Formats: sequence, C-alpha cells, structure tokens
Amino acid sequence: MRVVSSAPVVEPAPGVESTPEVESAPAVESATVVESATVVESAPVVESAPEPTESAGLYVHVPFCSAVCPYCDFAVQIGSASERTAFGALLRAEAALWSAWDRPIDTVYVGGGTPSRLDPGQLEPMLAALRSELPVRSDAELFLEANPEDVTPGRVDEWRALGVSFLSLGVQSFHDAELRALGRRHDGREARSAVETSLKGGFDTVSVDLMFGLPGQDLAAWSGNLDTVLALGPEHISCYQLTIHEDTAFGRRRARGRLTEMPESAQADFFASTHARLADAGWEAYEVSNFARAPRHRSQHNLKYWRHLPYLGLGPSAHSFDGARHRWWNHRALHDYARRITRGERAVEADEALDGEALALEALMLGLRTVEGIDLPGYRLRYGVDLHGLNRPLIATLAEEGLVQCEAGALRPTRRGLAVADGLAARFRLA
Amino acid sequence: MKNVRNFCIIAHIDHGKSTLADRLIQACNGVETREFRDQVLDDMELERERGITIKSNAISLAHTAEDGLTYRLNLIDTPGHVDFSHEVRRSLMACEGAIIIVDATQGVEAQTVANLYLAMEHDLELLPVINKIDLPAADVDRALEEVDRDLGLDPFAALAVSAKNGVGIDRVLEGIVEHLPPPTGDPEAPLKALVFDARYDVYRGIVLSCRIRDGSLAAGDRVRFMHAGTEYEVHEVGYSGFRREKIDRLPTGAVGYVITGIKTIRDVGIGDTLTLCRRPAEAPLPGYQPARPVVFSSIYPMSSDEYPALSEAIEKLALNDAALVYQKDASAALGFGYRCGFLGLLHLDVVQERLRREFDLSLVLSAPSVLYRVQTSDGARHEVDNPGLWPDPGTIQGVEEPWIQASILVPEKYMGAAIELCRQHRAASLTTSFLARGRLEVVAEMPLAEVLFDFYDRLKSVTRGYGSFDYEERDYRAGDIVKVDILVHHEKVDALAFLAHRDKARARAVHYCEQLAESIPRHQFRIPVQGAIGGNIISRATISAFRKDVTAKCYGGDVSRKRKLLEKQKKGKERMKLVGSVEIPQDAFVSVLRTDRA
Repeated sequence: MRVVSSAPVVEPAPGVESTPEVESAPAVESATVVESATVVESAPVVESAPEPTESAGLYVHVPFCSAVCPYCDFAVQIGSASERTAFGALLRAEAALWSAWDRPIDTVYVGGGTPSRLDPGQLEPMLAALRSELPVRSDAELFLEANPEDVTPGRVDEWRALGVSFLSLGVQSFHDAELRALGRRHDGREARSAVETSLKGGFDTVSVDLMFGLPGQDLAAWSGNLDTVLALGPEHISCYQLTIHEDTAFGRRRARGRLTEMPESAQADFFASTHARLADAGWEAYEVSNFARAPRHRSQHNLKYWRHLPYLGLGPSAHSFDGARHRWWNHRALHDYARRITRGERAVEADEALDGEALALEALMLGLRTVEGIDLPGYRLRYGVDLHGLNRPLIATLAEEGLVQCEAGALRPTRRGLAVADGLAARFRLA
Repeated sequence: MKNVRNFCIIAHIDHGKSTLADRLIQACNGVETREFRDQVLDDMELERERGITIKSNAISLAHTAEDGLTYRLNLIDTPGHVDFSHEVRRSLMACEGAIIIVDATQGVEAQTVANLYLAMEHDLELLPVINKIDLPAADVDRALEEVDRDLGLDPFAALAVSAKNGVGIDRVLEGIVEHLPPPTGDPEAPLKALVFDARYDVYRGIVLSCRIRDGSLAAGDRVRFMHAGTEYEVHEVGYSGFRREKIDRLPTGAVGYVITGIKTIRDVGIGDTLTLCRRPAEAPLPGYQPARPVVFSSIYPMSSDEYPALSEAIEKLALNDAALVYQKDASAALGFGYRCGFLGLLHLDVVQERLRREFDLSLVLSAPSVLYRVQTSDGARHEVDNPGLWPDPGTIQGVEEPWIQASILVPEKYMGAAIELCRQHRAASLTTSFLARGRLEVVAEMPLAEVLFDFYDRLKSVTRGYGSFDYEERDYRAGDIVKVDILVHHEKVDALAFLAHRDKARARAVHYCEQLAESIPRHQFRIPVQGAIGGNIISRATISAFRKDVTAKCYGGDVSRKRKLLEKQKKGKERMKLVGSVEIPQDAFVSVLRTDRA
C-alpha cells in the first residue's frame, strides 16, 4: 500500500468532463439519458460513467471507551482525560487539513468508541471546527452514538442543543445476564431508562442497537428484547448478529474452545424471526441489520455507505471514499494518528484506487444489503456493467427461488435474500 | 545373420522384466554407467514410476560369447499390459525368441500364460528364466514345476537368476546365444521389413523401428508401405544402441531404425510392411491389424483457457501414440475438449496421466464408454460411444454391446468370490479349470462395459490381490442399454450423462448423485441432483441451501475488507463450471468419475 499525504480527492477523477450531457440533462428527459447510457456503455470506457452528484457524509471517530467490550474490534481505547482533551484539538486540526474537500456534507456522524464519553464542552468546539473548515451544510443531520450509562436528561438536552437529531444508543440487550456476558457497563434497567430519557429529548430519531446470537441465547430471550424495544417505541432499531472477530477477547475465547459461534441454522432462525417480528409490527427492514419505523427515520448517513456515496472520515482508523474511485484510511493507533496531525500532515495511512470491476463489485455487495437493492439502469450508467444482461439465468433462478425480485429495473433482495446477501454478491458476473 | 539374435522378454507385470533388461544392457555395456538409469527402456517418467512399459522399444547390444564370437543381441521390449497386446504382437513378430520370466515367489501368472500363447502363435523359441531367487519367499522348485506343467516348457533349460542383484545374468546372455535361434530370411529376395514401432523425434521426424525379414535396406532407397501404399525416401538407417548408430545398410535379419521424411505418426501404419519401390515384394508380411480403440471418453480442460494447451498436448502425445484417436468435442458444461478413443482403461489412464504430468494440464474426463451398435426404426445402424449422440429412445429398435472373454486366474480359495464377482458383472457361460497346485482359471463371457469401471479393483479386493485378469474381445450381443442423464438443479449436465445396462443404471445414478451432492458446495438455494432415464427420475440427492451468509455490519470501514474477501471468493469460483445457475467445482466432475471406477 502506498502511504499518501496528498488527498486523492483533490485530483479530479478522470472523465468527469466527458459526459456533460448526462449531467445537464433535464429531469424530464431522464429516460433519454438512460437510453444514451446504452451507447456510452457499449464503448469500453468505464471512466466516462458520471460521478454521483449527491452530498457527502462526514464520519468522526472518537476512539475512547470507559472499557473495551470483549467482542469489539473497533479502534478504541480507554484513554486518559488529557488524551481525550487533546483529541478535540487533533480533530480540529485534521478538519483544517481537509479544507480542500469540496463535496457538500449533509450528514455528520460522530461515532466510536463512545462519543457520549466526551463532555459536550469538548464536542461543541469540535463540531464548530468541522462546520467552519468543511463544507457542512447548515441543515446537515447530526448523528451521535451514546452508551446508555451516559444518557441523562441533562446530557440529552445538551446534545439536542448541539443539533444532534439522530441518537444511536448502544443498548445491545435488556437482559442483565446478557449485558454482563457482553462486558457492558449498564444493566437492563439503565438501558430502558436511557431509551425513555432519549425519547423524551426531542430527537428526530432515537435508535437502539441490539445484539442477537449471543452464547447461550435462545429465541425466547431474544424475542423478549424485541418486545421490550417495541414497547419502548424508538424510531430506529439495529439488530446485529454477534460476530466474533479474531483479535478480540471473544476471538481468543473461541480459539481456546470456550466460545462457539451460533450454528448457521440457528443464525438463520434468529435472523428470520427478527425480520418477521419487526415487519409484523410495521417496521421496515431497509438493510440487513437496520430497521426504521418509517422511511424518514432511516439512517441517512449509513445509507451513504450502502449507496456507494462519498464520505470523509476523520479520527483514527476512519475510512473515506471520494464517491468516484478512491478510498483511503487513517492510521488506526491514536499515537500514529496524533503524530501525523501534530506534524501538520493528514493522518492517511494508505489508499487504494479501484478499477471499474472492483467498484461494480462494491456497489453490488452493498446494494444487495438493502431493500432498495440495485437500480439496474443507474448501475449500468455509473459502472458500465450490464448486471442484468450478464446474469440473466442467475437472476431468473434467484427470483424463482425467492431470493431476489427483479422488477421495474431494480434488483432487490427478498428477506431470505438479505440473509445470504454476501453469498449472492459473489455469484454475479461483472465482466 | 548367424551372429544376430532378436528376442524379447515376456513376463507378468511386476515379475521383473525391466530389471532384467537393465542388467542385460549393463552387462553388454550398452549404456554408459553415468547415463544409466534403472529401466532404461522405460524412458517415460510414467513408465518408470508405475514400473510398466507402455511403449515398446528396441536396443541393440554387443555380446562377446564364450565361443569367442561377438553377437548382436537385439532386445525388443514389449508393453506389459493387456491393453497393449497389439503392440506386444508387433514386437513379437520382430523376434525369433523370447525370454519368459517367472517370478520365483509367485509362480506362473495369468499374463505369463497369455504371453506364452502369444509367443507360441509367433513360433518363438522360449527361454524360461526364474527371477527373484534372492527373495526369502522364492520357491524355485515350485516355479520350475509350473514351467513344466503350466507352460509346457523344459524346466531343465530354465535359468534361475536374481535380476535385481545381477545374479545369473551371464548365463542368460549365453542362454540367448545358445538356445534362441538366429534370424532366417532370404537376402536375395525383395525387401520385406516389418515396422514394429515408431517414435517422433523433434529433429528427425518419425523414426521407425524395423525388422528386416527379407532383402536389405539402405539409405537412399525409396520404400513403400505396402498396406498404406505411401512412398518415402530413406534418409538414414542404423542400429538403436543407447544412441543411434548409423550404418549404410540394414541386412537381412537385422533390427534397426529407419528415418524417412515422415512427419507424423498418423502416416505410419505400425505393423505395416516396407518394401522397395524399384523391386517390391509380392505380398506384405501377415498379421497386420490396425489398433482399434474400444474405450471412449471425453477430455476437457479444467479451465477453458487451457483448451489450446490441451490441443497441443494431445497432438504431441499422438505423435508417439498411434493408438490414441481423438476428435474435437464440445460440452455445454465443460466447454471444448476432445473425444478420445483408447485401447483400454489403462491406456486411458496413461494418456490422462501423461497430459497432467508432462503438459501440466488439469483435466476433467467424462465416464468411459464402449462402442454400442444401435439400430433405429428408420433402418439405420449407428455406432455410438458418446451419450450425447445417443438416438432418441423412442426410435431405438435394438442395441448391441461388445462382449469379451475374460480370463481370471485365482488361487483356489477365491474361486467362489471371483465367480460371484463375474455374475455381478453380467457374466455368461462361466467355466473353471485347474491350472496348477491351488490355482485355477475362471473363463467368463462378459460385456466389455462391465469391466470398465470397478471390475479389476473389485477383483483385486475380493482375491486379496491374488487374482489376475486378462480379456480378449469377442463379439457384439443384444443388450438393454439406456442413457442416464444427470440433472443438477433441473439442468442436464451433458458431461455426466452415461450409457448403461438398464439393470445397472439406477445404482450408478445413485452413486453419481451422492458424489455430486457431496462435492458441490451449498448455494443460496436448495439444489436437487437427479439421475433420469428420459423423463423418469431414478435417483435423487439434495444439497441444502445456505440460509445465513451475510455479515451483520458493513459500514464505511468495512467496505474495502469485504470487497477483498469477495474478490478472493470470486477468484476461487473461476475454476468452477456453471451449469444453469449452479457452480460445480471441477473436482466434482473428477470425483464422480474417479470413484466411478474405484
């Protein structure tokens, strides 16, 4: 990997100018645009596909937690008070290093880690710096991750005052025993109270993260968690299956044979029952693990990842994508990150330039995770790949088998398709 | 001529033929020590490894005998397997005598007897040699008794040797000079030269191995292949020592090489007779029989990129293997390949192994088939070896399949098992006869198709390795033959279709389905694997579906890693064949067809 210090975004992606007629085409003639895309696509010039013009997302990684959970593989550390204080300054400096980023930003996501560990007194100047250094739109949506133990009515008011509109609560479970097994610092009562407090805070969306597939967890226990969360009534729920990563305490336990991942058939049962349950309650499963009570409560920031839209990541380990063909990521270790920023350099550890097929594969695997699925004419226009034409028999089979639907120019996974989205993505021919 | 001896060595497999040949060559200094590899005549890697001789070869040795005279001993090597009996015949035709080896630990075996008959057919003088006398299990007396009783040869002429340790080799050389006759032939008669082998040489084109029967052959002569009618100019003649030893003229009785301008082995009829254009012989030498394939299979490259390499490899192999017939073939599942005809299963095995090793190809082979004769209602007769060309069953009036006469030699206590095995393989007219103490021969008429798959291995297994097996083709007989299609997720996989007797169709179809279900990885949907005769399903297995295969989280930082995983996964799929929407690993084809025969 090449270590870069210059921003890949600063270089305009080649070929942007080559399709002005597509960009300037009036909306009413969009059908014509699609038609003309056939012509564009038939020439083997993937470069000429237009770039998306949508706004970007901004992700800020706060690498501090009060303790490291045994399943977590994110770049986190406990961090001293002075490190936490210094971090705000580093982020502000990093934002200044990225002032050349010219893509308008309409979502700002502060995650981690546990950003709720930061004092609002630290958050406020950080957010102000982001707004002043980067093209953050005034109406940008602000997302914040919080742990239940940090949620108090006072904090909720302060977050609201900072402009947080989407609060994501790392609840994981409402059962004390499960929470202890997960190494969480809150219990079930605190979890419920945190949700209730947040719901009274006036956020547009309160989201609750839950985990299933925990060691020893049965469907009844999981179902109890779903009952609780539905009764509490947030606007958004994320249900993640526990994934055991190698370099975690759980991973080491598994290596020693003291922990096993739930067998596939049980995983499938949990997944199916979760989706069925929430669908019955009127919720929309808009992504593999994400549910919204109404489309307006979807996480607009996370949708950018799945829609292959640009995002800038700040903070240790944060990843960025220019929305065209470059990805880059920051140093993972806080001290490496800090050293680079202190030197007045961007903290980019490495980058990659994707070719057309890699981009098409990403878009496919991401698209198949969402109910939006893949807009086939748009896909063809952007990636120069006729996904449908190249995979007709496969799509027909998958549709017959109830894994996808292919209607009105969109390829969408069904619920069963979502459960095997990774396997599906590997099946398609892209060239 | 009287100082020449043309001889071969015949033996049951593993009785030490190649080792004895090596010692004879070493004793005559035919090969310099540093160039000597064990079993020089078996110069293909595969032959050395398997210890069998696939291509016959000839080497000319100089031996100074006790009478003070120097003799030219032409050792003509013969292949050691039933599949290659036509090559054995050709080699025998070049000889006056043969050394017949009997293993002192095992006695007379099936092939010893079969080769003896062959040698007797060609009026060869025989010199029995008891080998492996160094082994603790050697029973020379019993071996001598069997030489007398089973082979009908003079046990007092037999020489006891240990080829491995070089014991008795001098006596074998003297025995050749004393007991085997010199060649006969009329030096004044028009040329008759038997072409008994041919090899492709990169620099010289085809190099023929010839035995001069009558007349003589010199460089510059113009020769005619009497059966083929083709004519060539002779560029060079000589003796085949370890290297070619160029001379002006091959005299009557000589065994040597002949180089003409022939480019490909297809233009050479092995077994044909060469004569001079300016003074031709009246008739060719008798016994010419072109090699005829009896077993057929399609060979496909694992990856279609390898098709050009496969084409080149097959052409190269065929340069030295006149018995290998091939033509282009295409499978919907496996792409382009070749339909090949072989002399038998071992020949098939040897060819595919050579393609794999010498040309580094990964291959998929379809189930071997025999050649069926099919009569359709329009009165037409078809010869079909390829399931893909099987006529519509509604139009078939009758099918005939090739039958063989199998000869199985077993120790008495395994007689019951051997007979039972033959019965399971549709044997008709079983007879048994005692050969020697505790050994007997089971002669059975069986369809050739029945011995194609597991017969030999099962025989070895039920007789604990003591059974031996040989066969000759007999005739065509009516049989209820059906085509079985294999369907994966309701799509026919053409390369897996097979032709079988109706009574055997179901068991094989079940086996195929089970094997495929084991080797095809799970998909995102259930995959039925079925065997069918026409629209009638006769076997079924099901591959269950993946129900959960998606990572829970995929956010900004996960995209690259996940994409790389997918790219790796997709790379792995490049070696899979797509049938309908099912990805079938190449191994699945290989495993089905391999276990079919194991």
